[in-house]
Amino acid sequence: MNKLFKNNSEFNKSSPVKLSSHHLLAIEGMQKTEIKKLLDRADYFANLDKHADTKYLSRYVVLNVFFENSTRTRVSFELAARRLGAEVINISLINSSIKKGESLLDTASTLNAMKPDLLIVRHPHSGAPLLFAEYLSCSIINAGDGRHEHPTQALLDALTIKRRIGYLEGLKISICGDISNSRVARSNIHLLTTMGAEVRCVAPSTLMPSSLEKLGVKCFNDMKEGIKDADVVMLLRLQNERMSGTENPSEREYFNFFGLDETKLSLANPNAVIMHPGPMNRGVEIASALADDANRSLIKTQVEMGVAVRMSIIEALNHSKNKT
Amino acid sequence: MTHSIFKSIKLINPATNFNQKVNVVIQNETIISISKDLNLEKFNRDDQTIIYDCEGLTMSPGIFDMRVNIGKTENLKFTQITAAESGITSMAVLPNQTPKLNNPSIIDHIKRQSEDINLPKVMVYGAATKDLNGLEMSEIGLMSEMGAIGFTNGNKSIKNSLVMRRLMSYATMINRPIIQHAEDEDLSGVNQASTTSIRGEMNEGEISTRLGLIGIPACAEVIMIERDIRLAKLTGAHYHVAHVSTRDAVNVIREAKKSGIKITCDTAPPYFSLNESKLLTYNTAFKLSPPLRSEDDRLAIIEGIQDGTIDAIASDHRARSKDTKAQPFSAASVGASGIETLFSITLDLVHKKIIDINKVISLLTINPSKILGIDSPSLEEEKVADFVVFDENEPHTIKQENLKTSPTPFDGEKIHGKILATYINGQVAFMNKILKNKIIK
Repeated sequence: MNKLFKNNSEFNKSSPVKLSSHHLLAIEGMQKTEIKKLLDRADYFANLDKHADTKYLSRYVVLNVFFENSTRTRVSFELAARRLGAEVINISLINSSIKKGESLLDTASTLNAMKPDLLIVRHPHSGAPLLFAEYLSCSIINAGDGRHEHPTQALLDALTIKRRIGYLEGLKISICGDISNSRVARSNIHLLTTMGAEVRCVAPSTLMPSSLEKLGVKCFNDMKEGIKDADVVMLLRLQNERMSGTENPSEREYFNFFGLDETKLSLANPNAVIMHPGPMNRGVEIASALADDANRSLIKTQVEMGVAVRMSIIEALNHSKNKT
Repeated sequence: MTHSIFKSIKLINPATNFNQKVNVVIQNETIISISKDLNLEKFNRDDQTIIYDCEGLTMSPGIFDMRVNIGKTENLKFTQITAAESGITSMAVLPNQTPKLNNPSIIDHIKRQSEDINLPKVMVYGAATKDLNGLEMSEIGLMSEMGAIGFTNGNKSIKNSLVMRRLMSYATMINRPIIQHAEDEDLSGVNQASTTSIRGEMNEGEISTRLGLIGIPACAEVIMIERDIRLAKLTGAHYHVAHVSTRDAVNVIREAKKSGIKITCDTAPPYFSLNESKLLTYNTAFKLSPPLRSEDDRLAIIEGIQDGTIDAIASDHRARSKDTKAQPFSAASVGASGIETLFSITLDLVHKKIIDINKVISLLTINPSKILGIDSPSLEEEKVADFVVFDENEPHTIKQENLKTSPTPFDGEKIHGKILATYINGQVAFMNKILKNKIIK
């Protein structure tokens, strides 16, 4: 076991990662070694000058297909693909063919007929990227599906933590907020538990999904307990668009019990860092001043790491397809 | 005169508690002889007498499938033919089709349209409420006179307690059951219009959490049943719970039966043979209502079948087009085909040593007729020859590509038992070539 791990840590960061699949659909089921390699390679990209020549993927066509609004994720993927030299086409399908009644599979096979190398999909329905992967021949990256997973976000969060603290194993990480509706939470839970971190989930009981502890986490309804001695406090956005109005009395009540402020943060490890996948609601999930606290908030670093992580993934999927 | 002779066949007839190897002779539409010793001389071999060597085969009354949805992908005749091929000789269709079965003339129309001496008999449930809206009672007395055998809102719960009370009370006058799809639809979120907000999609638990699908708590079923039991007690009505899927529901129904409430219930093959773990790949063939439940619930359904709490097994057939199923789970249609697998999946309970063959036949034949107050089929001399012939042990694998309706939740299932022939009014509605090959020349 140890020997294996040692070999992995000696992985050469300067070459692309080979994965067991040519899709990235979910973190659940991914091997620790694969995650580690992707993070190491992303770390390598993050250290490069942004003008460094990383155009390894010429004549590689990426379709950025978004069935749900997104700015940061779409742009981050686009930048990552462009830095690798790929051609990127952005397609927003929020209002077009869906409204015309075309089925998702027809849309997908139409796109597939244009022979892209990679489809990056965001979709409001959990599991939709799996359907794409089942029917299409190109690689698929899940850029967020419903309440299911957002694997690239979890990888960029892990890289952000690793670069700040140095390791993941044994860290106390509290994920706080709307766990129920969060794909970010699920991907992070799978990734961080796989990497050996101690993961705690903090949420009002109405936003805590059923049997969550079976995913290997500890669950708390009291934020003060949940972030005690935490090394990382990860906040989630209240996803009002996925709620029925029965989950939460009001934003101010939510902030009172589950918003991160100085008082609650004082219970965490004194060096604890703050993360948020964005977009954040200031004064709801997090006190505005904390979000801007350059010493503790890693929110901007997360965005920066997004590009490096996505470069490492796009490159790896290309590599994994060619070699299998 | 036409005679069909089934030589050395095991005859199972639950109405008379009969299970013996005999020779059965059919003349035109009637069973004329059931005997241990067959005197072939009695029958003039010159006219149309066919003798089947039925060593190792079994005969029983035809299946009465008491819960069938005629969906957009089917028409009634197609479903009848498919049903005949699946060993079904009678079926009861739900009112939630297009157009809705909510008035006396359409009940009459469906009955006439389906009248074919050689196809399964179609019985009709009337819409309990006008337009299935759950708010006003429909003309259940007039529909009853036209032959509606019970009243239900189909795949939607009768939610309003006052409406349910009145329905039950009124139904006692016409002596018909009220059939409920038991689900607190506010709790399960299926009342929500949007498909992405909080519409329940599967059983709530670890798996719904992993998949990021919206859970329907198991108690959404029993909450409705508990309320209805109180109303059944208040009104004295016969209350029937359709497709029971949870342990709590089975427990509550068991207790209600003990206390003398007129309550009956059925379940469907997915609920005693599958559980929620089937959904782990987002396979929409398993998107059902009620949803596939936990393993513990599945075991409780089996216990309910064993101890008689569950009275009947129905297909809960709700075939869907491939297009509405080849969708992300949240957007896919609800329901699966069932008539083609009802017999073999239920017979599998015998091979798994859960119940005996007599019980299986009762659950599929006389029990549904008793619940709905219809003459129980019985295979006796001088009775009508409505029956099936099957091989209890014939091994085969259910494959979607071999079925006429989709999607089946049992694709790839290895089972034993096959329908070889279905007789309706003494006529062959379906015969497999295995039986044709057993004709003694």
